[in-house]
Amino acid sequence: MKWHERIGKQLFEPGRDQSPGELIFFKCFELFVLVWTISYAWDWGIYSQLRNVEVVLPLGMANYIDVSLFFDHNLALINAALITVLALFSFFRAGPKWLYMVVLVLFHMQYVIRYSQGEIPHSQNLIGMSVLCFAIGAWFFPGKKEMPRFVMGTIIFFIGLGYTSAFFAKLIGTGINWYDGRHLWLWISEKSIDILSREGVYNPNFLQQIALGSTAAASVILLIGWFTELIGFTMWWKKLRPYTTTLIIGMHFGITLTMNIRFDAFVMQLILVGYPWYRLIDRYIVSAPVLIKRWV
Amino acid sequence: MNLPESRRGMKIIGITLLIYAMLVASHEGEFWPFSIYPMFSQAGNPWTRAMVMDVTDLPDEEIWQSHSLDSKTGPPVALREIGVDQIDYSNFISKTENWTDSRRNALRTMFGPENIGEARWMAAKVHGRMIGEDSVAIQIQPFLLVTADSVYMNPLLDESDYFLEENP
Repeated sequence: MKWHERIGKQLFEPGRDQSPGELIFFKCFELFVLVWTISYAWDWGIYSQLRNVEVVLPLGMANYIDVSLFFDHNLALINAALITVLALFSFFRAGPKWLYMVVLVLFHMQYVIRYSQGEIPHSQNLIGMSVLCFAIGAWFFPGKKEMPRFVMGTIIFFIGLGYTSAFFAKLIGTGINWYDGRHLWLWISEKSIDILSREGVYNPNFLQQIALGSTAAASVILLIGWFTELIGFTMWWKKLRPYTTTLIIGMHFGITLTMNIRFDAFVMQLILVGYPWYRLIDRYIVSAPVLIKRWV
Repeated sequence: MNLPESRRGMKIIGITLLIYAMLVASHEGEFWPFSIYPMFSQAGNPWTRAMVMDVTDLPDEEIWQSHSLDSKTGPPVALREIGVDQIDYSNFISKTENWTDSRRNALRTMFGPENIGEARWMAAKVHGRMIGEDSVAIQIQPFLLVTADSVYMNPLLDESDYFLEENP
């Protein structure tokens, strides 16, 4: 068996039968992605309509299309409405198998319309990647037995890859001394200005005070986070997945405390995909409801 | 899912990964939702952010002077209260290279003249850098004075601070 087949075996678990708990969990997870997709689409649409005036930094398709057209005439809101309707159709499997791909393209457009102002946030990337995985799954593995396993396995693959990629981006961008605690001082001071500007007041929390009080403590905080990113790809192995996920969630809480950056959807999604929830559901459910079977 | 389907799944992941790599390589690491997650990859660099201060009650001769964070001249305006995303605002200030009339008016529109009212708001750049081995220095640079109907540039700054191109 080749190495990529071994990884495939860990991600897709071809030997395991599909259980009612797996179907129920899969549809609940899809509902979670649907709710966040619709929520982001409207948040971004409303903000773009109200606040965006000029394109400061074109991202993605905005390099080829003048997205400032969407700042007026409610076009960003119309796009949000389209995303909502098509995502609902996709969720209920009422449409062609490529419909999720259309949702993904419109969702990408909504992101580049909203974030054309210079900021490149990443906290919504996991939801975007999930929509991508649903789009690929619905197209290439539309069967009820295959789609849940493919979609969840692919999402886990890209989450693990993303964290390990972030480790190497730091190693290449700065070098082995990336974890120098004074770097954290600079980031804490930078984020303190953002908080002061956003709220009008800023007071360092307990962890920030510890980091600012000692280079060694700040270095340890960075080193733990960096190591956690490095081992992100170990999520691909099903036995290691819950442990790696727990470490990553801990790292996100650390980032929130030290740099005041929140990852709500990110962490919720990690909690959902990182642990075998279907086993818990299988303890209490013997058969999946008819509607769930119809909509998978 | 059986073994052949698992193999096909890995092939599709491989193709997706190839598209991922091509898109991020040709778009400076970002093609949402694809990303190389470069945030915080370049550590130790000086930074520039932005904030807004209410300088309504400050004498004209004092409003344009740069100063440290500890001796800031006016109370910060909480951007959340006026519905402006702080990160957007900060990027708008730090990444704009040519402060044309339209760009200056875009800043006024971002704040909302109805929010400014009779007040005078100072859009300031905030610079941070390491000093020596063990401290971070933060300097506030007044940049644009915004009122409900006008935007003024800092007369103490050079024109090149506002215009990268020679003929704006």
